[in-house]
Amino acid sequence: MIMESTLSTALSTPVHSSVLWLIPFLPLFGAILNGATGRWAKNTKVVDAIALGSVALSFLLVLCCFAQLLGQAPENRSVNQTLWTWFDLGGARVLGGITQNTMSWAYKFDPLSGAMALLVTGVGFLIHLFSTGYMAGERKDGTYYRFMAYMNLFVFSMLNLVLGANMIIMFLGWEGVGLCSYLLIGFYFEKEFCAVAGKKAFVTNRIGDFGFLIGFFLIFMIYGATDFDTLMGMTRTLLARPEITLFGLSHAPTWWFNLIGCCLFLGACGKSAQIPLYVWLPDAMAGPTPVSALIHAATMVTSGLYMIARMNFIYINAPVALSLVLFIGSLTAIVAASMGLAQYDIKKVLAYSTVSQLGFMFMGMGAGAFSAGMFHVFTHAFFKAALFLGSGSVIMACHHEQDMRNMGGLRKYMPWTFASMGVATLAIAGIFPFSGFFSKDEILWKVFEGWYAGGSTLNLVAWIMGMLAAFMTAFYMVRLMVMTFFGEYRGAGQDPHHLTVPSEVVHHDDGHGAHGHGGHEAHGPKEVPWNMWVPVAILGLLALVGGFLNIPHSLHWIGHSHFTAWITPLLYQTEAHHAHEAAPAMEYILMAVATLVWAPGAMALAWWFYAADPTWAKPRAFVKRFPELFEWVNAKYYIDEFYEAAFIGPCKQLGAQLWAFDSLAVDGMVNGAARFTLIVSHAAHWFDAKIVDGLVNLVAWILQQISLGFRKFQSGRVQNYAFVMFLGFLVFAFWKFLA
Amino acid sequence: MPSMNAVLFISFLLFSVGVAGVLIRRNVLIILMCVELMLNAANLNLVAFARQSGTVAGQAFALLVMGLAAAEVTIGLALVVALYRKKDTIQVDQINLLKG
Repeated sequence: MIMESTLSTALSTPVHSSVLWLIPFLPLFGAILNGATGRWAKNTKVVDAIALGSVALSFLLVLCCFAQLLGQAPENRSVNQTLWTWFDLGGARVLGGITQNTMSWAYKFDPLSGAMALLVTGVGFLIHLFSTGYMAGERKDGTYYRFMAYMNLFVFSMLNLVLGANMIIMFLGWEGVGLCSYLLIGFYFEKEFCAVAGKKAFVTNRIGDFGFLIGFFLIFMIYGATDFDTLMGMTRTLLARPEITLFGLSHAPTWWFNLIGCCLFLGACGKSAQIPLYVWLPDAMAGPTPVSALIHAATMVTSGLYMIARMNFIYINAPVALSLVLFIGSLTAIVAASMGLAQYDIKKVLAYSTVSQLGFMFMGMGAGAFSAGMFHVFTHAFFKAALFLGSGSVIMACHHEQDMRNMGGLRKYMPWTFASMGVATLAIAGIFPFSGFFSKDEILWKVFEGWYAGGSTLNLVAWIMGMLAAFMTAFYMVRLMVMTFFGEYRGAGQDPHHLTVPSEVVHHDDGHGAHGHGGHEAHGPKEVPWNMWVPVAILGLLALVGGFLNIPHSLHWIGHSHFTAWITPLLYQTEAHHAHEAAPAMEYILMAVATLVWAPGAMALAWWFYAADPTWAKPRAFVKRFPELFEWVNAKYYIDEFYEAAFIGPCKQLGAQLWAFDSLAVDGMVNGAARFTLIVSHAAHWFDAKIVDGLVNLVAWILQQISLGFRKFQSGRVQNYAFVMFLGFLVFAFWKFLA
Repeated sequence: MPSMNAVLFISFLLFSVGVAGVLIRRNVLIILMCVELMLNAANLNLVAFARQSGTVAGQAFALLVMGLAAAEVTIGLALVVALYRKKDTIQVDQINLLKG
């Protein structure tokens, strides 16, 4: 029956959907072309053309498809394309005897995946453009084509993740982005810390993938299907069952949904860097900065959010899982934000900021406000990509210095970068007309509303943690801006206040250290070329205006909540709607407080703390006053060390012990068997040589002895033989005669 | 006309000389001659008995044996020549390849 429905949808899709497959496959072709032939390209401009061209074409295709969706009625906004049957299950039977026997390679372009594809290709293109400037040093040493091929491969995988029409294609993309992340973090793999960081990211993600797979298998066992349309459609039927029996366990459907939700959320924790699996993201900054912007801020880390939004029909029916998402999200938001307060490495600040903002998005999801969470994905992609790319420009201008204490005063030298990053900072801090205000306050409001409208206290706790995290966000962002752009330039011996420190950041950026800037040390920083600041400026512009796509309902006199309306048809509609919306008065108050008092207060505090006094007497006094506190936060609460001691160390020990067991017991058994065989074969050899051969030789010897007697007769003289014949004749004659 | 017994006795003596020569002498040529002696002793017997019985079959047989002996000698001498070329000798006691 499911087969039929899939078939009929495949047949009824309009012709224009036939280009859908090109959206992900164009970057794949780019990756293959560059990866296979880029090594021999005489001019790296060819590599540029292939890499940027494929992503740009893909972006244009997404735009076309998106425009087509806009022209459709809300309930028809879905374009499907089944490319081929990927594999056949051969009649797997699941709960209730429902089976989906074929897994097809299918893409689905609907409001959610379409918007994500737009983000991936659009922001992806800007970051590719930025890379042509940032990775200029690699053009000479022949690794440039590899970088571009990986980036294209990443875009392909990410598009598979968002456009996949079923969980298998989604998982393919899910693993693909993990692989590309690994490859790109370890891009400078000749440096050990880069290779280690890549490994850490991969292994941590594998832990999450384990949860994802378990959740996916449970879904398949319960639904017997993997494509999202079927899953969505069957949910209501499943929920009507009194109980579902699986593996001999009978529980209410909600129990199973909670289990699935928690398992999938573990996957999301790995991919989207939430507690407890967030540890890989800060280390991932070992990769080149464009990678940090594209993969570890704008797109890949949001795939967990996308997955939860896609699986909203599970989560909305799984209250426990949703509460877990809310709790983990708010905890991550506040913990990561606090870690960001005490970092000196500009990219580390942004990394913790990303983890924290991802926590905000999960808070939105956890409050059941999927569209609010997804909207923050988009605004965050704009301002965080702008911040990361801007930080890349800054790092490059400061001759690959990442320690903010050795920067300063850059606004004079890099006006474009400063302006773009300034806008992005205001956006992330949540100042009124900037995009972050609309998305973040929508999330915080939804969380608060959950408690205010008679929900659980967990929502109130989460809201308080979220507000604190928002405060810290504004603080560390202003700290970053002040240390980087204000005051005097402190790098390369130009420090009037002698604040320069020997770089604490051992990982000298992305390992660019030795690539030809040595001679520039004497010069001050200067603005980066156009192909680097233009993408940053575009992203800054998007960060400025992006918020107007989704104005909260209470501010309807400004505009409409387009984004929410766009996503809503994809969300599972529960019967029990909220009886009454909370009074907008409360929302107005909270918004005003957030944007007029809270965020500006944090920013002013940071300004007063860091900018008012160029010698930083106040922060120094603070650190002197509470050295342990500072040390603790600066060392990220020693969580990495804790993991090392609690999990990684024991795992390694276990590994060592298993190895010892292997080498002693297993190898010993094998060697023992070998020795035993050797001994047995020696005995057998002796037996053969002495007993068997001896018998044979004895027979031969006996025959020899016997034949010795007869031998004498064989004199070889014909006359002897004739004589014997003659004697015989005589005997015969005599015998005849006598007879 | 010699008596039958005398003829048979002479024939016996000839044969005995032939046998003794074959068994004792080492020279191949002599051995061949002794073989001829034995053949001729047999021929003598054949002719003697043919005469006594008054039939001609024995005489015809003697003629046949003579022809056969001539052929045998040719082959025998040829063999002796070949043997001499091969082994540089015609002494039978030195030709003992069949010695066990």
